Amino acid sequence: MENNNEVLLKVDHLCQYFRLGRKDLKAVDDVSFEIRRGEAFGLVGESGCGKTTTGRSIIKLYDITSGNVYFKGKRVGAGTRAYKDAIKKARAEAAAKIKTLKAELAADSTRKAEINEKIKKIQDELAVVVAQNRALIRDAKSDHNDVDKQHAEALVAALEKEYEEKARLAQGDPAKLQALEKEFRSKRRVAKKSKLITQIQMIFQDPIASLDPRMTVREIIAEGLVINGITDKDYINEKVYEILEMVGLVREHADRYPHEFSGGQRQRIGIARAIIMQPEMIIADEPVSALDVSIQAQVINLLNDLRERLGLTILFIAHDLSVVKYFSDRIGVMYFGKMVELADSDELFKNPLHPYTKSLLSAIPLPDPVYEKKRTRVIYNPLAEHDYSVNAPTFREVSPGHFVYCNDEEEEKYKLMLK
Amino acid sequence: MSKEIKLSVNNLKISFRTDAGKVQAVRDISFDLYRGETLAIVGESGSGKSVTSKAIMGISAVNSIHEGGEILYDGQDLMRIPEEEMHKLRGDKIAMIFQDPLSSLNPIMRIGKQITEAMLLKNKANRKEGRETFNRLLSSLSDMMKAAIIAGAPTSVTVDQVSEYIRTFDNFNIQAIKLENSYNDARTAAEELIAIIEDFLFLTEKKQKVDEIGTIKLVARKLNDIDDKYFAARYADVLKGHMVALEIAKRAEKANPGQTATAETVDILGKVKQTAEEMLAQPRHNFFRIGYYVYKHPETDLSHMPAEQANELAYNFLMDDYMTAFMALEKIAVQYSFNKSIENKKRAITALQQAIDFFNAGNFDASSASAVCASVKASVLAAIDPLAVIKDTVAYTFGDALEREVDKYFFYLKNNPKEEARFARQTAKREALLAKGKTVDWKVVPKSVIEPKVQIAAIVSVITRVKNRYQADVENADSIDLDKRCVEIIDYLKEKASQVVYTLTKRIAKEKAIKLMEEVGIPEPRIRFRQYPFEFSGGMRQRIVIAIALSANPDILICDEPTTALDVTIQAQILELINRLKREHNLSIIFITHDLGVVANMADRIAVMYAGKIVEYGTAEEVFYNPQHPYTWALLSSMPDLDTNEKLDAIPGTPPNMIYPPVGDAFAERNKYAMEIDFEMQPPMYEVSPTHYAATWLLHPNAPKVEIPKIITERIKHMKERGEQYGE
Repeated sequence: MENNNEVLLKVDHLCQYFRLGRKDLKAVDDVSFEIRRGEAFGLVGESGCGKTTTGRSIIKLYDITSGNVYFKGKRVGAGTRAYKDAIKKARAEAAAKIKTLKAELAADSTRKAEINEKIKKIQDELAVVVAQNRALIRDAKSDHNDVDKQHAEALVAALEKEYEEKARLAQGDPAKLQALEKEFRSKRRVAKKSKLITQIQMIFQDPIASLDPRMTVREIIAEGLVINGITDKDYINEKVYEILEMVGLVREHADRYPHEFSGGQRQRIGIARAIIMQPEMIIADEPVSALDVSIQAQVINLLNDLRERLGLTILFIAHDLSVVKYFSDRIGVMYFGKMVELADSDELFKNPLHPYTKSLLSAIPLPDPVYEKKRTRVIYNPLAEHDYSVNAPTFREVSPGHFVYCNDEEEEKYKLMLK
Repeated sequence: MSKEIKLSVNNLKISFRTDAGKVQAVRDISFDLYRGETLAIVGESGSGKSVTSKAIMGISAVNSIHEGGEILYDGQDLMRIPEEEMHKLRGDKIAMIFQDPLSSLNPIMRIGKQITEAMLLKNKANRKEGRETFNRLLSSLSDMMKAAIIAGAPTSVTVDQVSEYIRTFDNFNIQAIKLENSYNDARTAAEELIAIIEDFLFLTEKKQKVDEIGTIKLVARKLNDIDDKYFAARYADVLKGHMVALEIAKRAEKANPGQTATAETVDILGKVKQTAEEMLAQPRHNFFRIGYYVYKHPETDLSHMPAEQANELAYNFLMDDYMTAFMALEKIAVQYSFNKSIENKKRAITALQQAIDFFNAGNFDASSASAVCASVKASVLAAIDPLAVIKDTVAYTFGDALEREVDKYFFYLKNNPKEEARFARQTAKREALLAKGKTVDWKVVPKSVIEPKVQIAAIVSVITRVKNRYQADVENADSIDLDKRCVEIIDYLKEKASQVVYTLTKRIAKEKAIKLMEEVGIPEPRIRFRQYPFEFSGGMRQRIVIAIALSANPDILICDEPTTALDVTIQAQILELINRLKREHNLSIIFITHDLGVVANMADRIAVMYAGKIVEYGTAEEVFYNPQHPYTWALLSSMPDLDTNEKLDAIPGTPPNMIYPPVGDAFAERNKYAMEIDFEMQPPMYEVSPTHYAATWLLHPNAPKVEIPKIITERIKHMKERGEQYGE
């Protein structure tokens, strides 16, 4: 929160398609947003609209189809479909042009030289476009696959430099040199294995299914550290105890198995497992929907505490709007793989613009019988609401910080509504 | 809202046997459900909400123990009636919707079959039951008539003549059933005809491929099936005309086959459909009356006579020739049987009193107890009036209930010493360990012993109930209207006879199912009918489950967290649907959930449950605007609403382990307002208003005044402001 304008995560035209027979299932279709450091960003929508897929694509559990994901300014994920499509399109256009030219040539053979010249020019242009896009694809692939390697290499290089300096200072003291050597080795082992993407961690919806029933809580929580190459048992134990206390459990719980805990405690274990990697960002995928009401409040309070204490950035995915409203600073509304509206949470609830958001807000049940008996639900029917046959919609900023998926005509209408 | 009580639960206690000990899931809860209202039961998981609803449905888990209390529906105790009786109620009168729609549907069965399955099975069972009941009642009527004559009743009819009367009754009923059967077959054929034509017209309208020749053949065949003289007599010419037209259409189609239907075919099918509808709309003949007429005059034909006239004629003939005499005879039999039953009841009352004395004296052994049971059972069964149309379930189930209680007594007598010994052994071991200064992380399982005296009281209560019932019957003996009962018997026989006749074919069931699917809001039901559950989205699946639950027209619908697995928009749709169906069918609903927002939308009254007990109970307005119990406060304050910005008041800790239920208020450990007495004694239900009760010591006159948490007071204030805004 100290640096409110630094963009921590940037999602740029993210597309995630799944193969479904001959067709593609567009689970996430051209979604863009930014999350600033220290912010809680809520993502809502009905089930099957691609909220969870977005989260999983960001953390690279899927290979994204198209678009880019930037974390701390580095591209951690990139897809190639858009560039491939560009090449295809350019080729098709060029082929069409050449065909018409050849037809002209057949009709009038006197202009042979001129037409050949033109064809040559088109082919050259095509070659340039293809080469450009191929370069982009190469870049994307290398970024997507090697970002962690580059990150590790950079870390190792920095470490080497640091220890060269230290070694020079400690020249002539063999014992000290040896200790330094040992420390350097263990640190380098960790650095070699470290990945940029582990600074984003995920909390899953179902606390029962996401914990291995045959591992003790200590093993579950320490697993990330072990994979990262830390071998010092005492250090690991100390860390596990610290984290357990941080999430409201006690040391004695470390040697128990997940089935010995209640639902809320299991979700705390899931949170502990995520924050032991000292992440800068957490993706919380419906962390409270499987819990009882009274336990929900405990977990929400815990997440809020941790966020303040560790300065975490949180992407909060949920379908319970009251919880999202309570927890998040900004909210994005998704509908069938598209982001339809994005705004500050207060602004979104005060001035919902997109008809789907209105329909969603009108469906929230509140613990108030009189209000409930009078509440009328707005029904969203995309075919009746929008006419996109002429003017295709895009995701645009209607007022500062308030984005809506609309076309020109609707933008005018929304702007009027805001006044 | 009318205040007719549909279902009442009194002091229900249910436990579960587990390896770790006995889990007390429901501890002494009571509530009433009125007609046409929604009662919401709110609580955390493990508070016993679902256990209660499953007990009402009679589908408790196998390891459950019913420790006491009763569930009264329609004058019977659902916890005590035998499984065969429960079969008739479950799904038929009381239906249930579960949390997860996918697990309550069969994945490898088409949706249509799943909806119609219950209807078809029920129809089959009904026919069988009707036949059996008819035969039984008629034979006992005949027996009673004969017995009355032998006993010297004032009539000139002899025993042989009685047999003749009964045979006539049976025979003309067979005649009536035959007529009605053929009439119904014709009716069914007409209904099927409409269904076929509607299917065809629907496909044509959608411009889909249709089998024109096949349909025409099918329609012609169905038209041939409609040949009953009482149904189609006055339409014979019209039907003949249709047949000819169909034949022409078929030939035209054969000569010039095409993918879509021709206009002529659509036209003629529309006309056929119209005729069928007209035929179905004409008034019915009363076959019970006509049956007798035809039985006496086999060669006459009443089918051309309009229905009213024929009914009138047959009625007069029936009354003059047979029914008046039969009714007189019947009245004698009813009188005789009733008097005898009252006499037997008086005798049974003394036997029951003796049994009460016997059991109250204690010190009985197994053989003498079973002898007493057998004799009491026999005398109670003997006192049942065989001609009573409404069955006395208390008397019918008395024998089994008594034997069960007596068995329990001897079981505990045998096992109590063992249990005592175990308790003593474990306590000693624990104390020894504690004395050594070791930490003990286990508790002694409490004794599950029953005092013999308590069990004897249970036995006596079973006997007293039937005794009280009989005493009331004897006292009211003079006020019973026997003429009314005679008519009732005849009506009942007629009803059972026609129950045998009514058949539901698959095609009609399909039409009914499609109507239901339309009612619960499934678009294009004709296409959806043939799909499998996986082809439906979550909300649609839940709609199907609701349609299945409604197919039997239940009185009471139990919804066990029907929307927890669904997201906000779909949830709102399902809740609206349930509310609409409640209004249209005048259903009583028990709505179980842990989401207070949902409750506010649905409920007329709310019961808040915690650790197997109801802690607060009142109308929705009272519970939301004037909550009294700290647990209700905690529930309300732990969920954020759209205006919450401050830190949430989470409830610390977890619900208590119900193997060792707390001595005092179960919520005391998590309650920041808990007083010392909360840990020692359970609070009684305090009355806040005539409809609002709460079980908390804070309502005791001597309790300190406690402020309701700020977050709630503010929210209520806010809600009231909002309410006023909407009120304007």
